[in-house]
Amino acid sequence: MSHDAQNAMSLQTARSRRTQAAAKLVRAFVTSPAAVFGGVLLLGFLVLAALAPQLSPQNPYDLEALDLMDNMLPPGSELGTGVTALLGTDDQGRDLLSAILHGLRISIVVGVISVLISCIIGATVGIGCAYLGGWADTIAMRIVDLQLAFPTILIALMLLSVFGRGVDNVIIALVTVQWAYYARMMRGVALVELQKEYVDAAIAFGASRKRIVFRHLLPNCLPSLIVIATIHIANAISLEATMSFLGVGVPITEPSLGLLISNGFGYLLSGKYWIAMFPGIALLLLVFSINLVGDRLRDITDPHSGFEGQ
Amino acid sequence: MAKTTHRRLAALALSATLAGLPVSGLAEDLKLGLMAPATTLDPHFTNAGQNLALSAHFFDTLVTTDADGKFIPGLAESWKIIDDTTWEFRLREAQFSDGTPLTAEDVKWSINRPATIKSSTASLTIYTKAIAKMEIVDDRTLRVITEKPYPLLLPDLSNIAILSKKAADGLLTEDFRTGKGVVGTGPYELVSYDPENRVVMKANDDFWGGKPDWDNVELRFLPNDSARLSALLSGNVDAIENVPSTALASLRSNAAFSVEEKTSYRFVFLFLDSGRETTPGAMANDGSALDSNPLADVRVRQAINLAINRDAIAARLMEGLAHPTTNIVLKSMDGYVDALQPTYDPERAKELLAEAGYPEGFRLNFHATNNRLMNDAKVSQAVAQMLTRVGIRTTLDSVPFSVITTRYSQGEISSAMMSWPVPTSEASFPFRALIACADKERGWGLVNWGHYCNPELDAMMAEALTVMEPAKRADALEAAVAVIGAEMPIVPLYFQVSTWAARDGINIAARADERTSARIFSTSE
Repeated sequence: MSHDAQNAMSLQTARSRRTQAAAKLVRAFVTSPAAVFGGVLLLGFLVLAALAPQLSPQNPYDLEALDLMDNMLPPGSELGTGVTALLGTDDQGRDLLSAILHGLRISIVVGVISVLISCIIGATVGIGCAYLGGWADTIAMRIVDLQLAFPTILIALMLLSVFGRGVDNVIIALVTVQWAYYARMMRGVALVELQKEYVDAAIAFGASRKRIVFRHLLPNCLPSLIVIATIHIANAISLEATMSFLGVGVPITEPSLGLLISNGFGYLLSGKYWIAMFPGIALLLLVFSINLVGDRLRDITDPHSGFEGQ
Repeated sequence: MAKTTHRRLAALALSATLAGLPVSGLAEDLKLGLMAPATTLDPHFTNAGQNLALSAHFFDTLVTTDADGKFIPGLAESWKIIDDTTWEFRLREAQFSDGTPLTAEDVKWSINRPATIKSSTASLTIYTKAIAKMEIVDDRTLRVITEKPYPLLLPDLSNIAILSKKAADGLLTEDFRTGKGVVGTGPYELVSYDPENRVVMKANDDFWGGKPDWDNVELRFLPNDSARLSALLSGNVDAIENVPSTALASLRSNAAFSVEEKTSYRFVFLFLDSGRETTPGAMANDGSALDSNPLADVRVRQAINLAINRDAIAARLMEGLAHPTTNIVLKSMDGYVDALQPTYDPERAKELLAEAGYPEGFRLNFHATNNRLMNDAKVSQAVAQMLTRVGIRTTLDSVPFSVITTRYSQGEISSAMMSWPVPTSEASFPFRALIACADKERGWGLVNWGHYCNPELDAMMAEALTVMEPAKRADALEAAVAVIGAEMPIVPLYFQVSTWAARDGINIAARADERTSARIFSTSE
């Protein structure tokens, strides 16, 4: 067999390997009951968040709909507007069920969008560094090192103190603290891929740089990126909740889960448990479900976990 | 229960004495958890409540206030008004902690000292500038002569600590940091000072007011609400100020602690930008600019006044720690108008808005602090909610105090929730700061964020301030406050209620002036 033909073979196997891998992934995923449970739970949260305006008995962000006279009512009480607050109300008279549904929406949107943007920036920088090498690589990676040296919460707190509250500002802050992580990871993955034969083959066939990066390098790096990103959505959501809890996240008239918990926190000692507890449970379950799904995805794709080659 | 503890302690003391061990643990010690850290030991450096509260341990003032804000003798045992501009103070026999006796020279020197401190950002000279000169009659008699008839001399002097000239002459504010110059006539002597953290002091046994209640006092600065509360609950401190309102109910029902509260002289109010032609934060409902400033219309300001349910705020957010008002002084003070009572009438508010040409309301940006006042973030949300319900769609910007002051200096404030104290126990004090036409020379309207200006009202107040006879002055102040009630340049919401909590066995003498010192606590033996 000639050398060229050998390379052509390995190029072909790389492609078919990808489709096979996807099918294997799904099969491996459903074998874990915990992951399926997490997946169903996550799907439920996504539906709830998507339909929040339709499902909520009250618009918790419309000040006109709130009445201070309805505040801190226990679960099951009826509000002045005739609405029954199944999970009680907070200190401003907000129906907690509605606030949690809308809060889920903010949390998921902030988590997904910030991770998505971080991934795009991180993947571009990471793959670029791996492919170009040299000075560009050194400079970019030292910037990444510098940023990773600071605690995430500290940077996010500082940025939000400067920008002020707001969902858009939270997303900007989260992207700023997360992109470096993806850049570092993607560089590593791309360096490994670059050593593989199919890249040599593509080069030998005279493929353009663009083609090598977008048709070969990127698709082969994507699975690792998707897995890590899934787990990091949970991190981003926790970070948003932390920022809001600390009072620098979303505006106080449009509470997310973290801010709802923060509002209710002060009332825990006085027996009004529901203000902090229900948003807390919602946040816990959301992060839990994402982690279950993400962990399973990581296990399946990790070559050391034993799934590979089964 | 308490008795057995004491018996046990006595037995312990006896055995300890017999064994020849030190019994220091049995001295009457007080550890206090305070909210705001004092910034310096120099009592003349800055006009901040926490600093004046700290200096009250070491120093006395000529005149002081009782728990209700009435002015009573301090280092001056008596005073008389000789003519409209001359006051004569008779000093009591007292001595400084270094043993030297108090003289009229010390007092004169101390009153002149704030003017020599140039680096202060909140100078105490506002309390001394009415004084034209001072004459020493004899060692224990001092005459104070004011430029013009000035009835507020006693309130002013209640803020000026009397230092020992011998100990503090020539010292700069920085020198006080090490404890130099902290030689006063007060009940306690400084042991150590750790800025931002704690102050330790011991009793001055020669205090003119008798032996102090505590042998040793330690003040700890615990700005975080839950940290301060935990310190009390865990026994790390014996008493705290500013009990977090969410913890009040559980603390009240706990027999191991006592809680005291008192309506303070600090009131919370809304600034409305009525003085400018247009105001940046008011817009039509579709977000477009308005032709004129709606807040300039008195009917709109009255509508805002009627839209706010102060009782609901007091009961539902403040746990009762708010005293609803539409006055700018408390009932016990001069200038209180009985007819001005808080009214909640959203229907009338909507009518007034319609009459003013805003039947559909308008949009308003509203600024409030989130780190300055008790529950400010919650109360400001409730205010935004209530205004929105009558048609003024309010967007709340809940920000730290420093951000608000920056935005104000950039002209961005259309409405804001702030607070102001009434340390003089009469209406001219808040009026001059918040409502009077801005006039730097005169020192009036220095915090007039609403840009309100009514020269006739200013003239009424100025006139009232020249009346030396108390009853007539009160009448003149009331007439001016009645105009304020009709004009609503600011919208008063409530007077804050101060709280203190202490472990069982300590009495708390709650005060209106928010100043917490070891002087207000005593053992209940």
